[in-house]
Amino acid sequence: MVENSPSPLPERAIYGFVLFLSSQFGFSKYFPDGWLNTLRLKFWPVQYWAVALPVYLLITIVIGYVLLFGINMMSTSPLDSIHTITDNYAKNQQQKKYQEEAIPALRDISISEVNQMFFLAAKELYTKN
Amino acid sequence: MEDERSFSDICGGRLALQRRYYSPSCREFCLSCPRLSLRSLTAVTCTVWLAAYGLFTLCENSMILSAAIFITLLGLLGYLHFVKIDQETLLIIDSLGIQMTSSYASGKESTTFIEMGKVKDIVINEAIYMQKVIYYLCILLKDPVEPHRISQVSAKPRLDCLIEVYRSCQEILAHQKATSTSP
Repeated sequence: MVENSPSPLPERAIYGFVLFLSSQFGFSKYFPDGWLNTLRLKFWPVQYWAVALPVYLLITIVIGYVLLFGINMMSTSPLDSIHTITDNYAKNQQQKKYQEEAIPALRDISISEVNQMFFLAAKELYTKN
Repeated sequence: MEDERSFSDICGGRLALQRRYYSPSCREFCLSCPRLSLRSLTAVTCTVWLAAYGLFTLCENSMILSAAIFITLLGLLGYLHFVKIDQETLLIIDSLGIQMTSSYASGKESTTFIEMGKVKDIVINEAIYMQKVIYYLCILLKDPVEPHRISQVSAKPRLDCLIEVYRSCQEILAHQKATSTSP
């Protein structure tokens, strides 16, 4: 892979120069140098926003964590809702005819059958414990 | 004929399941939950009061301390009356129906009765509850509009206890189906 080598490339030189210029620009916003003093009054509102916007962003990220967690908990269906048992697809699925010696078609099995298979037929598994 | 066994719930506390066989078509299951432990009560009270004291040192307003005492008392009363289950009972009568009684620590009892004609099946279902996935017993209803269900989740026993109750209930339901289709 030629792109992964650390050798100098013209694109990297340009990116580096742009980064250098923007960092100098950013620093001069926070710490105005002597030769920018005359322009200081012009920069004050911009300087307020230069501090305020990162703070807004951080608070948004923190609230985003809490909000996502809350949305997840709210959209979990409650324990007595029918959505934990079945849904529209399972109710409307078509029953294919059972053919001898063929693998049965894939379909959703009702919860009563599943329970009988797990808990009534498997007595020997649980009486061992 | 009575039978008592001890199980544990999902938090590790001890539950006692009492089974009574009144007749082949009538059974009662009684689940007793662990009592409110002094340790957890002391821990919660200490944290609330320490937090209130911390706020008081910041704000120098003594109303915070009396408010904290009030909140602790009201919270404890509300918890005992609405949340803390002392005992849960499930009574199945073959031809009549299913009755569930929950009695709370403050003495309040709430009862639900479901006719046998409306009951489709009793199953063990698993679902997401808070940050866990739990097994719980659930009664499926034959509603013409939409088959919805009622569940009994207040005392959350583990799977071994649920399997015992499930097997006994299925015996009664099978017995009921046999007698209802025979004539």
